[in-house]
Amino acid sequence: MGIISLEKLDHLYWLGRYTERVYTTLRNFFKIYDCLIESPEGAYRDYCERLNIPDIYTSNKQFVSSYLFEKENPDSLISNMNRAYDNAIVLREEISSTVLSYIQLALDTIEAGAGTTAPVFDLQPVLDYLLAFWGCADDYVEMEDCRNIMKCGKYVERLDLYIRLNYNMKDIEKEFNKLVHRIQKTHMCYNMEYLDRLTEMMNRRADWKTEYQEALCYLGGIIEVR
Amino acid sequence: MRELIDHTEGINRLLARYGVKFGLYKNGTFHEQLFPFDAIPRVISHEQFLYLEKGLIQRVNALNLFLEDIYGEKKIIKDGVVPEEFVFSSSGYLPECEGMTPPKKIHSHISGIDLVLGKDGEWYILEDNLRIPSGASYPMIAREICRQASPETFRNNPIVDNRNYAKMLKEVMAYVNTGGVPVIMTPGRYNAAYFEHSYLAERTDSELAMCTDLFVEDNYLYFRDYRGKKQQVGVIYRRISDEYLDPMTFLPESLIGVPGIMDVYRSGHVAIVNAPGNGVADDKGLYYFVPKMVKYYLGEEPVLKNAPTYLPFYEEDRKYVLDNLEKLVVKDVAEAGGYGVIFGNELSREKLAEMKHLIEKESRRFIAQEVIDFQDMNIMEGDEPVPRKADLRAFVLSGEETKVWASGLTRFSRNPDSFVVNSSQGGGFKDTWVLSR
Repeated sequence: MGIISLEKLDHLYWLGRYTERVYTTLRNFFKIYDCLIESPEGAYRDYCERLNIPDIYTSNKQFVSSYLFEKENPDSLISNMNRAYDNAIVLREEISSTVLSYIQLALDTIEAGAGTTAPVFDLQPVLDYLLAFWGCADDYVEMEDCRNIMKCGKYVERLDLYIRLNYNMKDIEKEFNKLVHRIQKTHMCYNMEYLDRLTEMMNRRADWKTEYQEALCYLGGIIEVR
Repeated sequence: MRELIDHTEGINRLLARYGVKFGLYKNGTFHEQLFPFDAIPRVISHEQFLYLEKGLIQRVNALNLFLEDIYGEKKIIKDGVVPEEFVFSSSGYLPECEGMTPPKKIHSHISGIDLVLGKDGEWYILEDNLRIPSGASYPMIAREICRQASPETFRNNPIVDNRNYAKMLKEVMAYVNTGGVPVIMTPGRYNAAYFEHSYLAERTDSELAMCTDLFVEDNYLYFRDYRGKKQQVGVIYRRISDEYLDPMTFLPESLIGVPGIMDVYRSGHVAIVNAPGNGVADDKGLYYFVPKMVKYYLGEEPVLKNAPTYLPFYEEDRKYVLDNLEKLVVKDVAEAGGYGVIFGNELSREKLAEMKHLIEKESRRFIAQEVIDFQDMNIMEGDEPVPRKADLRAFVLSGEETKVWASGLTRFSRNPDSFVVNSSQGGGFKDTWVLSR
């Protein structure tokens, strides 16, 4: 243990991204779900648009079941959790069985929740497991480089989602600073020009509503995994 | 013990949490399946273990000497103990390994020997697995969890701690290491035993590598990291079959091997665990000759018995097999994993005739054995204990010394009418306790 191959680097980075995707989208879903209780049909459309995922849903109810549990839906929570699992399962000796087990638990919980009538209630443990995963990673992932690469993935994904979902500037700035800090700690190749451009956008407090495409483009290209 | 059994569901839940699974391909699709655990252990007394230990060490030492001989001087053939037809026609015999001597002359570092306990109280060896025997990781992790589930059980019973397997494996790898990092090589996560590959890498502090991480340069094997730096590999515990190991030497179409690794191995610059070419010694046809190997190489009487076996290759045996097929079990020597095992008493008259014809036509392809009436072991089905067939895979590790792991994988059939215990055929597993006194 001690060597990170290019293949593993890729898995570490995407493990960070997918766990964060599940975590942040689920937290957002919980807010939307509450609105959907009384909202007219199609109330999820704005959310789909912001995330740039196709609106393939036919009703609020069908959105809930498909977006959360449908394995054939590539944008669903379970599909993203499966991708996190696919990346984690090949990293047992880097992240340890203990850390890996939280990914397994999160996946099992989502799988067990299919068909539930109370998704917020049943999926709450997923958030707990993912938080435990990150907490545990700090304690059990021995190689600092592994932790930093995973966290770079996590912060890139979080920023991406925060920008898309129009989070406030303070939150975005905070996550951006974390990302910069992490990138500098890794030995990964990164695109200095994109990082500078994003920094410039942060400094002039860019209007994310109109400039988010540009920001996402820079963000997506910062880390050069391959 | 009752407390432990009451926790069966919880133990299985934790095994699921830790991803204790095996992969299966069904209709061309990969599925991951949990390996059901039954908490009633197989218990091996101290005296029984000493007996097994003696016999297993003897057997594995003889098999290692056979491999060294067969790829070298071939004295055993010249002396007429093993017919050459059985060696050179074996699919496990690799001419490419001729004249090669592995580091420290160890060919089978990890041997998985399958045994059953007959109703006559005698242990019988069913087969030797000297290529890439799997299964040690399951009782390793199960024991860890069982101890958490019922500490009282382990406090009150003199059970040898089996959690030293990783340490034993690490010692073996270190002993044959030619200078460099230890690596466990996996074909990838869609391999049936991927859990084991990754778990053993974690427990032995080895690098888990795929072929793309490894390369040969100037006749040395290296692991490349993401920054482009290379580290020499001194020992590689490969979990891929011989034929895929090196496309330059074996199957040219292999995409999961490392081009040139056999040249590095030939030069003594890396140890391959287990050595390539071992398949010749665990060939089902050669199994018949293992007791003879023990006598030939060690000058000792074999401690452990083979199941009574017949080789249709020999006329006398063929006649017996054809006359008694309905009470024998026939094994296709080319198959593994519980496949190619045919019980004569389950065949219709028509199928029996077909089988006889096939045996006459391809006598080297089959062996026949008496069906051993082996002892049933209880497993829990709901709240009820029910008897099922079970075998034991003992793990023998050969490094500076040959040692038997004081545990093993006990696999059982979940089907009451079946003797086939393989996980790929729906079986489960138990912990194996060896008592310290």
